Amino acid sequence: MAQLLADRRDVDFVLHEQFQIADLSKHEKYAEFNKKTVDLIVSEARNLAIKEILPTRPLGDKEGCRFENGKVSVPESYHKIYGLIKEGEWIAMSDDPEYGGQGMPHTVAAAATDYLVAANHSFAMYGGLCHGAGKLVEEFGTDKQIKMFLKKMYSGEWCGTMLLTEPEAGSDVGALTTSAKKNDDGTYSITGNKIFISGGEQNLTENIIHPVLARIEGAPAGTAGISLFLVPKIWVNDDGTLGEPNDVVCTGIEEKMGMHGNATCSLALGGKGKCRGLLLGEENKGMKVMFLMMNDARLQVGLQGLTCASPSYLYALDYAKQRVQGKHLLKAMDESAAGVPIIQHPDVRRQLMIMKSSVESMRSLIYFVSYCFDIIHITDNEEEKAKRQGLVDLLTPIVKGYITDRAFEICSHAVQIYGGYGYVTEYPVEQYLRDCRITMIYEGTNGIQGMDFLGRKLGMNKGKPFQDLVGEISNDIASAKNIKGLENLAGNLEKSLNKFVELAKHIGSSARSPKVLSAFAYAHPFLEVTGDVVAAWMLLWRALVAAPKLEKLAGTGPERFAKIEKDKNAAFYEGQIKSAEFFINTVLPVTSGKMDAIFGLSSAAVDIPEVSFSG
Amino acid sequence: MDILVCVKRVPDTAENEISVNGSGTDIERDDLVYSVNEWDNYAVEEAIQIRDKVGGSVTVISVGDSESEEVLRREMAMGADKGILISDGAFEGSDGKGLAVILKTAIEKDKYDLIFTGAQADDGAGQVGGMLAAMLDLPYASLVNFIEVSDDKKIKIGREIAGGQQEIDEIDLPCVLSIQTGINEPRYVGIRGIRKVASVEIPVLGASDLGIDQGLVGSAAAKVSRVDYFMPALGKGAEILEGSIEEKADKLIELLKSKGGIK
Repeated sequence: MAQLLADRRDVDFVLHEQFQIADLSKHEKYAEFNKKTVDLIVSEARNLAIKEILPTRPLGDKEGCRFENGKVSVPESYHKIYGLIKEGEWIAMSDDPEYGGQGMPHTVAAAATDYLVAANHSFAMYGGLCHGAGKLVEEFGTDKQIKMFLKKMYSGEWCGTMLLTEPEAGSDVGALTTSAKKNDDGTYSITGNKIFISGGEQNLTENIIHPVLARIEGAPAGTAGISLFLVPKIWVNDDGTLGEPNDVVCTGIEEKMGMHGNATCSLALGGKGKCRGLLLGEENKGMKVMFLMMNDARLQVGLQGLTCASPSYLYALDYAKQRVQGKHLLKAMDESAAGVPIIQHPDVRRQLMIMKSSVESMRSLIYFVSYCFDIIHITDNEEEKAKRQGLVDLLTPIVKGYITDRAFEICSHAVQIYGGYGYVTEYPVEQYLRDCRITMIYEGTNGIQGMDFLGRKLGMNKGKPFQDLVGEISNDIASAKNIKGLENLAGNLEKSLNKFVELAKHIGSSARSPKVLSAFAYAHPFLEVTGDVVAAWMLLWRALVAAPKLEKLAGTGPERFAKIEKDKNAAFYEGQIKSAEFFINTVLPVTSGKMDAIFGLSSAAVDIPEVSFSG
Repeated sequence: MDILVCVKRVPDTAENEISVNGSGTDIERDDLVYSVNEWDNYAVEEAIQIRDKVGGSVTVISVGDSESEEVLRREMAMGADKGILISDGAFEGSDGKGLAVILKTAIEKDKYDLIFTGAQADDGAGQVGGMLAAMLDLPYASLVNFIEVSDDKKIKIGREIAGGQQEIDEIDLPCVLSIQTGINEPRYVGIRGIRKVASVEIPVLGASDLGIDQGLVGSAAAKVSRVDYFMPALGKGAEILEGSIEEKADKLIELLKSKGGIK
């Protein structure tokens, strides 16, 4: 059976045909990453993912993490694969080689991650957190801190975490109570309790570096008084050697719906008054620093959504081709007719098309954001740089919020296509559904993503990023109007885009009016329709790339159907056009209805008295 | 010790649904994803380990089209020092003997202490290693699953024989060995290794570079040709064990005992 994590043809299409990623190697920064190198990197990530990491996915789910006497043991099988990830240097793929990174384009790293995370989401979190915490040190650490910590974090020798959440400070980070007091030696004494800390304690690495949000005594209330500290599990001496264990105690781990192989810890800091930390960045500016990690983490969570959705689709597709149940609808009355694979049933095809088009649009969107990062890193054109950064900022809540919402829906469709077998643990899809659910919650719930999009991103820089996004979509619509067979799709997307632009003005102005509460009650639906329009754009863009190639391979006459049956490339390109057709003609009309609802801004959710929520 | 490893680019069974083509003479090869033959990968790993232990070099060589360069580059990213691609339209359609002739000619251009082939290829017949040794007039051992370098004149090799017995032989150098899977645990290729070989030029040698008698290679010289290719019909007698993993394991043990598989 072919591997079922990510469709290699689709990954290659996005990398080489949609974004022509090898062209980045014309720039000195990415000179090493020609097409051969890119292909080899993706192949080796796939190889490692399939042969070594994927087999640990169900093992980690069943075994889970164990908590005994303040120590956490990760699933036994994770030790070997963590060693392989370290050895292959897959943790800091796109970071500066001077600090131990591999300097590859973000887009190529996204493609490698597509496989590595899909193979085992709960395991991949450990390496992801090493990288995220290391990035904070790289961006905001002193030269000394960089020397002490960074290479060991980017290499995976030491892991990282992020300590934000407290029992009374979840989405409201500003309510945190963990305190910090400056010591004579320049370190800070930290006291407090943190919860829901992924990888907060584990036995994979000899040390864990915790970035901790805390308030220095006397600092202002709220987020304005929050500072960030590096708190090592084992103290790190100035020369980089390990010192005494720090006063960081794991008090328990959570029993969760999914992600059983990733330890979600409660940590007590300074219970004995001896927890020391180093200030990272400036006092009271911890939120700004943490937001760098948070934005990166939000994009990574979107990618996690894709890595749950993509295998779910491929497993469901494979099952639908093999599972024989029921007769073909057109032969329902024919008693002699044999059963057919369920992929021949219209309702199964409908679900598969939702999954296919969604996974493809997600992959393109995530790689597009990564591609914007790559352009930011190589262009000398400041205007282009600012434009790409604006698009990244604008699209971050879409990647996090919209993609993870859709990903969970796709995982659910996969369970549905498997029928009863989908609900039992013998088959892989129920675990993807369980593991996927957290992506809608952590790194800012999807409700918060909606608020971020409406409250911050929509009007950011006087609406320039939003206008740039609309401009990019309009350009592709204009191109598609000139391609035979895509004219109607382009026209339909244009209608949706025009309505969406009007809606953005409407909800944006409502958010600055007495209707503010109603507007924010629709922030998440607004994020959802934005995501639909962006997804439709990505699919039209794919169709734009595919249509001329399909014509070249299969022509335009009736003979094309026979050629599509025989030629895998032609079949793939036809699939691109069908995805765009399905999404634009089936999903976007529903989006239009959702836009009508948002235009209406019903105040029912705001007006209903709390006492009326139940009988 | 200078070691040469013959490697082949084959369809990746983890990535492809393999199907027989319409005429029944081959598999459908359009748009397949390819990778290095698994047995050859073990051979490269063994060569790297020997080089790291006693010094020397590892060269990987492949006969194939220009696409075969990707497997050479991959094995160099793994740790081989040098790659050689043997590619010429005149080689197309060569049978096992033809391939052995091509490899022999290329190998004679240089001097190697050890020559490895995979015991077989995913799409091959396991015949090249033996013929190559005969043509080079070198000692040969097949299905090798253990190697111990004693000195620069002789090495010890292990082979699994019938009934799971292990045999240890001593063999003179230089020699040709066909390597069995399981001899080691091949390392994975890391990003640093890939970056290292990103811009390395891999020499391509054709029939005229090697001075090969074209009458001995290619489809015209082939004395073995495939006449049919099909999936065998499903047989009967398979038994699917039901129950929990523990129950299945218990039933399997009972079955193996009853059939004399284990005591």
